[in-house]
Amino acid sequence: MTMEFVFFQLLNGLSFAGLLFLVASGFTLIFGLMRVVNLAHGGFYLVGGYIGLTIVLATGNIWLAALGGALAVGVLGVLMETSLLRRVRGQELPEVLLTIGVAFMLGDLTLAFWGGDPRAMPLPDYLSGSVDLGFIGYPRFRVLVTLLAVAVGIALWLLMSKTRVGAIVRAGVDDREMIAALGINIRLVFTGLFFFGALLAGLSGVVGAAFLGLVPGESDIEILLFALVVVILGGLGSLPGAAIGSVIVGLIDAFAKALVPELAFFTLFAPMAIVLVLRPEGLLGRRA
Amino acid sequence: MSLTTKVKLGLLATGIAAGVALPYLTSPFIIGIVTLALVFGLFAMSIDVLAGFGGLVTVGQAGIFAVAAYGVGYTATHLDGGHVLQVAVGLAAGIAISVIFAIMAMRTSGVYFLMVTLAQGMIVWGLAYRLAPITGAENGLRGILRPPAVSAYWTYYYLVLAIVALAGGLLWIVTRSPVGLALRGLRDGEDRLRMLGYNTAFHKAYVFVLSGLFATIAGILYVYLNQFISPAASEFATSGHGLLMAILGGTGTLVGPLIGAFVIVFAENMLSTYVERWTTLLGAVFVITILFARGGLVGMLSQAWPRVLARFGHPAASGDAGAGSPPGAALDGTAHATSNPHGITTEDDQRSSR
Repeated sequence: MTMEFVFFQLLNGLSFAGLLFLVASGFTLIFGLMRVVNLAHGGFYLVGGYIGLTIVLATGNIWLAALGGALAVGVLGVLMETSLLRRVRGQELPEVLLTIGVAFMLGDLTLAFWGGDPRAMPLPDYLSGSVDLGFIGYPRFRVLVTLLAVAVGIALWLLMSKTRVGAIVRAGVDDREMIAALGINIRLVFTGLFFFGALLAGLSGVVGAAFLGLVPGESDIEILLFALVVVILGGLGSLPGAAIGSVIVGLIDAFAKALVPELAFFTLFAPMAIVLVLRPEGLLGRRA
Repeated sequence: MSLTTKVKLGLLATGIAAGVALPYLTSPFIIGIVTLALVFGLFAMSIDVLAGFGGLVTVGQAGIFAVAAYGVGYTATHLDGGHVLQVAVGLAAGIAISVIFAIMAMRTSGVYFLMVTLAQGMIVWGLAYRLAPITGAENGLRGILRPPAVSAYWTYYYLVLAIVALAGGLLWIVTRSPVGLALRGLRDGEDRLRMLGYNTAFHKAYVFVLSGLFATIAGILYVYLNQFISPAASEFATSGHGLLMAILGGTGTLVGPLIGAFVIVFAENMLSTYVERWTTLLGAVFVITILFARGGLVGMLSQAWPRVLARFGHPAASGDAGAGSPPGAALDGTAHATSNPHGITTEDDQRSSR
């Protein structure tokens, strides 16, 4: 193993971790306040990716695609929250089972609309190509994804710890009845947060469409698996947990794919098993 | 013997008689579908043991199902093993993976349990695609022949019928045994059970492996039915279908999942030629069942039954709730925002409500 190989895989791992964080942060945010495990999150990701792709093909503008994909999925999330999840509020299992039903529908409907061929998002020139990092060259887009994830992470952290909205959300995590009794419209907070979490899923779908490509019937499930492992490792509902989990999973995945490609998924299994046996609530999770 | 019990026994006898007579009455095509429905019925029952009785909703059962099937397939295609060895390897593989999964999942509950099982099932799916030397990747494993004695479609049907009936009977006994009681304890108040000195993690692992054993049997029956296995068997969708069968039929009833399996397998084979978006339809059925009919078909029937009795002048059939809780009870459990019925809130309650 040369130094160059190690650095290259390190960067692969960190950039994939960036994408994973974008996906997992929305998932964990929604769970953190609402206790809803949204298994349609992978479907949201796929829909965001396809809408972004459609916009890029129509306008050629990737920023418009990111905006459009994110907003459309945000609206989809609000629709799901208000029309379905609100009816079973507070019942953990029915909530998550509803999201499974929605995941089925989204997976099938994307197949109906966008067809069964794998697609990839074309990137404009200024985002493709490679950037010279001094010792090695590395794809510019992947560097940008890492930076985007760091920026989103910092923004989320500031939002949660420094603003009034963040204070309400954090208080809602601890005691939902109390926050409602203080005169805060917790329903609105729920819907808003669901919008935001779905928005992140849509955005990550647009990023993922360029990063991994879109494979119907596979991308949604695969990204959901990665998001699950990230939050199981890091601790469900914890943003720093999602960040740490993303880095661990990203690095393991990069090195495993390069060294033992046929075991690509199995390498995720071992760390998950260890964490579950020794610390079932996750590295940074609270005891449930 | 109450009227309701008589009706139930009558239905059981009719069901068995119809099952035995079926090959004489209908076409090989229908028998094939019925056999598949029985296999998935057993699979859905294995999910029901955990989800319906224990409130432990698993969405990774297809992982166990597929590992057992691959065990048989690999022995048949790569090791040239006889049928006894094939079944032995299939059973061993299924039980081994159940034990590993159980140890991973035993300290979690509620949605955590669900997520862990989901990730487990998906990892099997990922491996099925990538571990080509063993699984044959997308092409799967072909030419897994049935033993000569059951090579005809109708003899295999009788074998499946017998095994599923036997397994169903065993599961029925298990759910009414002390193990079944402990399961319901896990569902209704895990913290209280723990405070009473039960090792809840051990109980969970035990029932998980038991449920995995039945999923293993279903997987072995499945691979011999199709004489072929591919990664599709381990998909999230397979686990999801099994769960939907259990919920649609009525969780916590055992017979419900079997009914659900028949409804879905028949609908898929009859309708999917006409309905282009079959999976969307299934997703919608999932959503509608959860929103409006959480007790499933059996739940609806058992609600309507007292009214039928009343019409014939019988007092409402009380005390005949079978396992002691209405179908779908598991799905109402683990509500995290409901108040404590006794008005007493322990610290444990508060923690479990988060």
